Amino acid sequence: MSYFLLLAVNGLVIGLIFALVASGLTLVFSVLKVVNFGHGSLYMLGGYASYYLITALGLPSLVGVAGAMVALFIFGVIFERLVIAPMYTDKVERKDEYAIIVTFGLTILLSNLGLVVFGPFSKSPPSFMPGALILGPLILPYDRLIAAVVAVVLLVGLTLFLKRTALGQALDAVSQSRESAAVIGIDPRRMYTIAFGLSSALAGGAGALIAPIFALSPSMGDLPAVQAFIIIVLGGMGSVGGSIAGGILLGLVQGLGVGYLPDPNRALAYTQAFGALLLVVTLLIRPTGLFGRSHLRLE
Amino acid sequence: MLHLSFTRWSQAVLLIVALLLPLGMGPYWIHVGAIAWYYALLAASWALLAGYAGQFSFAHVAFAALGGYASALCAGQLGFSLPVAIITAILLAAVIGALIGALVLRLSGPYLALFTLAISEIFRLMLVAEEDVTRGMLGLPVPGLFTGKSDIPYYYLGLALVVLALVAMNGLLATRVGLFLRAIREDEGAARASGVDTTRYKILVFVVTSVIAAIAGIYYGHFIGILTPNIAILPEMGLVIAMAVIGGIESLPGAVIGAVVVFLLSETLRSYGEWRFVLMGLALILVQRFAQNGLFPVLESLGRRRQERRAAIPSVGGPSNG
Repeated sequence: MSYFLLLAVNGLVIGLIFALVASGLTLVFSVLKVVNFGHGSLYMLGGYASYYLITALGLPSLVGVAGAMVALFIFGVIFERLVIAPMYTDKVERKDEYAIIVTFGLTILLSNLGLVVFGPFSKSPPSFMPGALILGPLILPYDRLIAAVVAVVLLVGLTLFLKRTALGQALDAVSQSRESAAVIGIDPRRMYTIAFGLSSALAGGAGALIAPIFALSPSMGDLPAVQAFIIIVLGGMGSVGGSIAGGILLGLVQGLGVGYLPDPNRALAYTQAFGALLLVVTLLIRPTGLFGRSHLRLE
Repeated sequence: MLHLSFTRWSQAVLLIVALLLPLGMGPYWIHVGAIAWYYALLAASWALLAGYAGQFSFAHVAFAALGGYASALCAGQLGFSLPVAIITAILLAAVIGALIGALVLRLSGPYLALFTLAISEIFRLMLVAEEDVTRGMLGLPVPGLFTGKSDIPYYYLGLALVVLALVAMNGLLATRVGLFLRAIREDEGAARASGVDTTRYKILVFVVTSVIAAIAGIYYGHFIGILTPNIAILPEMGLVIAMAVIGGIESLPGAVIGAVVVFLLSETLRSYGEWRFVLMGLALILVQRFAQNGLFPVLESLGRRRQERRAAIPSVGGPSNG
């Protein structure tokens, strides 16, 4: 029983991190109608940004996480302005392919830049708080607890932001119809930039939160990125709530799968393959995602 | 006077250079050249699939892995003779290619990319997990095609495969099929409304390009002598995409030149380590941002313009000669 609880709680923590990554991906998909194939490398970049803020500048851990989110927001805004924005002019003929290629190019660029700048060996920032919370049979390291709490705060904050603020509503409007939003005075280009920046900040925050739990490495973003693709397809592309639920569910399933299936090598491979299979089946049955709306959904 | 276009000319010159190159090269560069042909096959067929037909697939290297592994397993574990093993692998790739083509009929753009990415990952993970059959990350030994230690036969085999694939694909594009594929890419609904059997041609392009990718994988496996699931990892797909985009995603010879140049460059700059791939990622983004038809078509049109200017001068300046 305690083994089950341990796996379930660990799965839940990882699931919350997945949910953060996936909700950022969803935000970009619903507002820009672009799948960001470079999302995983933004997650990686966030992890390293917080690592250097904490170790080189000596900032407190959580300030480092916040700093990483700010840095990634700025990075996202610049990338969107320089590389994605030309997509909305007539200069680019095939927009889908353009977006896939430039965001995928970003992954190649950043993951290799990570290798040369940060080195191939894994790095670990100091933990948020040493020790562990012991609740009967359950041992929960504070690092995981804090990461989970911060992730929940960010997810709730994102939901409230999208629901309650004028800017969030404007993002929702653009996601539903670019033209109609423009008619009532919302500048879609500005919303694209903001959505991409926010999405990068969420990915960066997730990477920074996971850093003390798993060590940092330049390829750390590969797996969460694939998971995030699976989650946004399952949760309905464009559904923030669906991404959150999907992320937690996927984390749980994989955490338990790895723990219970015999033969660890196969278990690891097949729990990942299982997620990919879910994605394939979902796309075949409902090409626009399980819930089939391509704009932001908050329920 | 010869009326060869610049493209034909440059292609003929490049072919002659490629044919003569092994004479002046050491074994290392012949080996590198032979691997370059593997990427050239993949980049050119991917350019047909993604560039001409607009079917952006991430599963192309998975088809190379499928071909390589199928041929190796048929020749090894199942005891088929080499030609039978190779033909079985090609047929298998054609069937799976048709199946994938039929499955993705309704998908386009990012959905298709995600679907093929997932299919590719599932296949790779199976190769990793089923160690009893594939030997997983240890690598599957593959029998060679030629006796002797020299890579020269492989180099010429690879070159022949590239030329054959280009001729076959250009032949296909020269027929009405080429036009139909373009029509499907530009506007599938309109193509269907004009009477194009879009289903048939989408499946056809998947079969043709999957078979070429599988042939590339078969060639690579028997040449290198060992296959690991890493042949189908995402960075390998990224390499193929970068090669095709830099060379020109809508030009099959452009993609071949892109593959050869990118691969040779990355070998030459080996001492710079991962900086090569940083540069490649940057080049991919910049080319896509500023020259969407690739670098080589740009160079080629510059060359053609210069040639036309040169051709134009005598006809204006010296009519008295006539």
